[in-house]
Amino acid sequence: MTRAATPAARRRPPLLLTALAAALLLAGAARAQPAAAPPATTQPATTQPAAGSDVEISDRAYAIARQLRCPVCTAESVADSNAEIAGEMRLLIQQQLDAGKSKEQIVSYFRQRYGDWILLDPPKTGLHLVVWLLPLLALLGGAAALVLLVRRWRTAAETTPDAPEEDLDRVRAALRAREDDA
Amino acid sequence: MRRLIVVVAVVAVLAGLFLYGLFRGPPNRDVPSNLIGKPAPQFTLPLYERFQPKYGASFSVDAHKGTPMVINFWASWCNPCFDEAPLLERYYRQYRDRGVLFVGVQTQDRGKYDAGRRFIDRFGYTFPVGMDNDSSIGVEYALFGVPETYFVDRSGTVVYKQVGPVTPAVMDKELEAILR
Repeated sequence: MTRAATPAARRRPPLLLTALAAALLLAGAARAQPAAAPPATTQPATTQPAAGSDVEISDRAYAIARQLRCPVCTAESVADSNAEIAGEMRLLIQQQLDAGKSKEQIVSYFRQRYGDWILLDPPKTGLHLVVWLLPLLALLGGAAALVLLVRRWRTAAETTPDAPEEDLDRVRAALRAREDDA
Repeated sequence: MRRLIVVVAVVAVLAGLFLYGLFRGPPNRDVPSNLIGKPAPQFTLPLYERFQPKYGASFSVDAHKGTPMVINFWASWCNPCFDEAPLLERYYRQYRDRGVLFVGVQTQDRGKYDAGRRFIDRFGYTFPVGMDNDSSIGVEYALFGVPETYFVDRSGTVVYKQVGPVTPAVMDKELEAILR
């Protein structure tokens, strides 16, 4: 029975590679999805200088702005964008912080108006969970496949296959012939 | 043989996904507005001087409850806003006697008052126009770009949002809808 193990193990690598490639592709696709749906915008390609962008904002405001998507940009945060609306949104965040609002209240203010779309990282609830869990599941699946295959290869390597009976007969005959010669 | 089938099936699925990605075309960039079917957010808009004798120093949505409204967001640097401006003025003149009020909101345009005045002069706007200097009204309406135009019915409910310049077809359809 162990005879078949070695050639079978040798045929494994394509399957392993395919599984890993699938896991990586799925992980990549799932991660790229949330950032890939920017809105319609008629803002000209040349971004306008931001009136509010030269105004200093606090680290806390910057941290909140990093979570929000710039409405007129493609996959860029309110913190990073030079668009005028992004600058104004940074100012709004700062004003709301100055007025004593919490980070959650400010994020919720923008979310109520723009919906979940405004969040660069989708919320970890409902259908959005798929985006978070799929890469993890794909990685776990890939790791499990790897462990299983390595284990099989090891078992195969440790087991010496039995020689066919006809080969053994030839060896016995050769040994007998040597003894006779001696 | 079974393994070969599995490998071929996985490769086929991946190839299918790859081809789908190649040929599905540009992604749909429309983001549905959260405001449709909801009350138009209240705002107070400081008006340009020429509109003040008739409408006062500022325009308030609440003060015009019961009036069907077209709220147009624009900026002085936005080319499509120039393209749609004559159409807006023409439709306002056509519909103002039927009780529809237009209001222009200059936004994402901090401090560009002179550019705003030139824009208004150029197109001879007769409906009230003001400056949303800190773009807060734009955020209130969850604006993405400019121009964007909101159609509000008599009950104060937003019934339609046009992203990009308005067209005669949109104006005809949505103006009738807010007059119903």
